[in-house]
Amino acid sequence: MSADPSPRLPLEQAGASDEQLQKVHAILLREKPEPTEGYSPLPLLLLGLMSALILFSAIYLGRYSGGFDPLVYDERILPGMLENGAAPAVQDPKVIGKRVFANCIACHQTTGLGLPGAYPPLAGSEWAQGPEDRIIRIVLNGLSGPITVKSTSFNSSMPAFGPQLRDEQIADVLTYVRSEWGNTAPAVSPDKVKEIRAAVATRTGPWAPDELLKIP
Amino acid sequence: MPNVSSLAASLNPATPTDMVARAELSEIDASAKWPVIVFLLSGLAWLLIGTGFALISSIKLHTPEFLGDYEWLTFGRARTAHLNSVVYGWSTNVAFAVAFWLMARLSRAKLRHGGLLIVAACFWNLGVTIGVIGILAGDSTSIEWLEIPPYATPLLFVAYALVGVWAVITFRFRKSEHIYVSQWYLLAALFWFPWLYSVAQIMLIFEPARGTVQALVNWWFAHNVLGLWFTPIGLAAAYYFIPKVLGKPIHSYYLSVLGFWSLAIFYNWAGVHHLIGGPVPAWVLSAGIAASLMMVIPVVVTAINHHFTMVGSFSALRYSPTLRFVVFGAVNYTLVSLTGSAMAIRGFNEVTHFTHFTVAHAHQGMYAFFTMVMFGSVYYILPRLLLKEWPSATLIRTHFWATAIGITFYWLELSIGGWIQGTEMNNANIAFIDVVQHTIPWLFLRSVAGIVITVGHVAFAVNVGWMLLMRRPAGVTAPTLFHSPTPLPTPSVR
Repeated sequence: MSADPSPRLPLEQAGASDEQLQKVHAILLREKPEPTEGYSPLPLLLLGLMSALILFSAIYLGRYSGGFDPLVYDERILPGMLENGAAPAVQDPKVIGKRVFANCIACHQTTGLGLPGAYPPLAGSEWAQGPEDRIIRIVLNGLSGPITVKSTSFNSSMPAFGPQLRDEQIADVLTYVRSEWGNTAPAVSPDKVKEIRAAVATRTGPWAPDELLKIP
Repeated sequence: MPNVSSLAASLNPATPTDMVARAELSEIDASAKWPVIVFLLSGLAWLLIGTGFALISSIKLHTPEFLGDYEWLTFGRARTAHLNSVVYGWSTNVAFAVAFWLMARLSRAKLRHGGLLIVAACFWNLGVTIGVIGILAGDSTSIEWLEIPPYATPLLFVAYALVGVWAVITFRFRKSEHIYVSQWYLLAALFWFPWLYSVAQIMLIFEPARGTVQALVNWWFAHNVLGLWFTPIGLAAAYYFIPKVLGKPIHSYYLSVLGFWSLAIFYNWAGVHHLIGGPVPAWVLSAGIAASLMMVIPVVVTAINHHFTMVGSFSALRYSPTLRFVVFGAVNYTLVSLTGSAMAIRGFNEVTHFTHFTVAHAHQGMYAFFTMVMFGSVYYILPRLLLKEWPSATLIRTHFWATAIGITFYWLELSIGGWIQGTEMNNANIAFIDVVQHTIPWLFLRSVAGIVITVGHVAFAVNVGWMLLMRRPAGVTAPTLFHSPTPLPTPSVR
C-alpha cells in the first residue's frame, strides 16, 4: 500500500516511507473523531414530567411516611392518627391468642384435645374454663403433679411461660383457649395477668394442682 | 513503540491537528493494551464459566434430578456460583477493561503503570476463583450478592485498591480540558463501588449489623451494585460509542448533566423497595419507593440523549457491530429502568416480588443492557489494541442474533411466567405446590433461551480466540462489518 499512497491522506504522504507508522494508523484513520456534546436545550415537556414526578413523589412520601416514626411499620397509618392517640385497628385478642397458642400445640395439640394418657385436653376442660386466678398461675409458673381433667387422671408437667410471654400475650392465649373448641368461659384481661404476675413474683417452682384448688 | 505523534509532526509541520490527535490516540491505545486485554480475556473466561453454571441451575429448576448426585452442584451452589462468576468474574472484569480504555482515551493520557493493573487483575481473578470454589464447596456466606466467603474477599480489596489508585492517577494526568460525560460516570462508579462493597462487607460479614438493618444493608448493596457500579460503566460506554461510531455529537450536554446528577441523587435510595412488606419502618420503604419513581427522570433524560443522537442514523445499525450491540443495550436500559420503577410501586410489587418476574428483570438489566453494551465495546476496542480486524463477520452476526433473540425471549417469557406465578401466589385458593408446578413450562423455556444465548457466547469466544491467534495482516485493513456501507471501504474512509 505504501507504494501507492492515497493523495487524500496528508499523513500518508508525510510518513509514506514509514511502514510502521502507517500500520499503527490503519484502524485509527478510519475512526470518527472523539465524541463531543451538542447543546440542544431541554425539551419543555421534560420540565413538565419532572415537576409532575417531584410533586407526586413528595405527596406519596408525605402520605405514606407513617409520621417518620421508626416504630410505624404500616404505611397506611396517617401521621395524625398517632398524635390523637386513636389506635389504628384494634387487633382481635383471639387472633393474637391463636398465634401465641403455637407454643402449646406440641402437648395440647391444635385440636385442644391433648394426648390421651399424657397431656390433658383443654377443649371442654373444667380447668381451662375455671377461675382465671388458677390458669394464669399455671401459664406463668408451670404445673407439676397428678391432676384430674374431665374425670381422667394425668401426671405430667408443664413448663413456665411467664418469662417468655408478655401479659398481653398470656391474656390473649387464655382468651383464645377459653372460647375455642366449644369452650365458653369469659375473656382474660392483660390487667388481671399483670396483677397475678406481681402477686406470684417471688415464686420459683411450678404449681401443684392441690395447691391451686385452694385458690378460689 | 516510537513516539508517533511527534514523529508525524516532525516529518511534516503541516500535519493537521486532527492527525496528531489520532496519533496520540494510537499511543494511548498501545499503553492500555496489556492491562485491558488481561481483564477482557479473564472476563471472557468467566462469561463461559458463568454460562455453564447458569445452564446447570436453569435445567435443575425443571428437571431436579439433573446432576442431582453431586453435592458441589446442588441448585443452591450452582446458582450462586453462576451469579458470582458473571457479576464479579465477567461483568466486573469487562467493566474494568472498558473503564480503563475509555478513561485513558477521554483523558488523553497514556495509561501509566500498566503493570500495576495486571497485578490487580491477577489478585481480582484469584479472589473470584477462590470465592467461586468456596461457594461450590459450601462456604457461601448466604448473603445475596455477597456470597463469596470471607477468606477470598481481602484479595478483592487489594485488587480494587490498585484499580482505584490507578483511576485517580490517570484522571490527574488528563490532558483534555473538557471532561466528557463518560468520564463523570466512570469516575463516580470507580468511587461508588469500593464504598458500596466495603460498607456491605463490614456491616454484613465482618461486624454484622443486627436484625432488620442487615436486610436493609444487603438490599442497599445488591441494588446499588447494579445502579451505581454496572449502570454508570454501561452508560459511560454508551455515551462514548454511540456518538463515536456515528461521528456526531451527543444530543445535549444539559441532558447529560441532569441525567448524571439525578442518578447520583436518587439511585442510592431505591434498593429498599425489595423489602416491601417486610419489618422495616414504613417511612424507609416509602422513601425508597419515592426515589424509585424519581429514577424515571435520569432514565428518560438518558433515553432522550441516546435515542435522539441515533435519530437520522439508524441505517448505521445495518453495518456496525459495535453500534448494534450498544444501541440494543441502550434501548434495554430504558425498558428495564422503567419496569424497575414500576416494580417499586407497592401494588405492583405485591405481585412480582418473590417470583420469576424479578429474575427476568435482573437479567434484562445485567444482560440485555449491561452485557450487550460491553460486547459492543469489546468489538470496538479489541481491534485497536491488537491492530487486527475481527476474523469473521458471520461469527459476530451469530453472536448478536443469538444473544439478542435469546435474552429478549428469556425476558419476555419469564416475565409472563413470573406475573402468572405472582397472581397465583396471591390467590389463597390455589395450593402452593400447584403454583410451583405451573412455573415449570416457563422454566423449561428459560433453559431453551439459555442454550440460544450460549451459542452466541461460543461464537464470541471463537472469534476472540481466532483473532488472538491469527497473524497480523500486512498493510492497511478494512473493518469487519455486517454489511459494507460502500462497495469496499478504502483506507481513506474514516
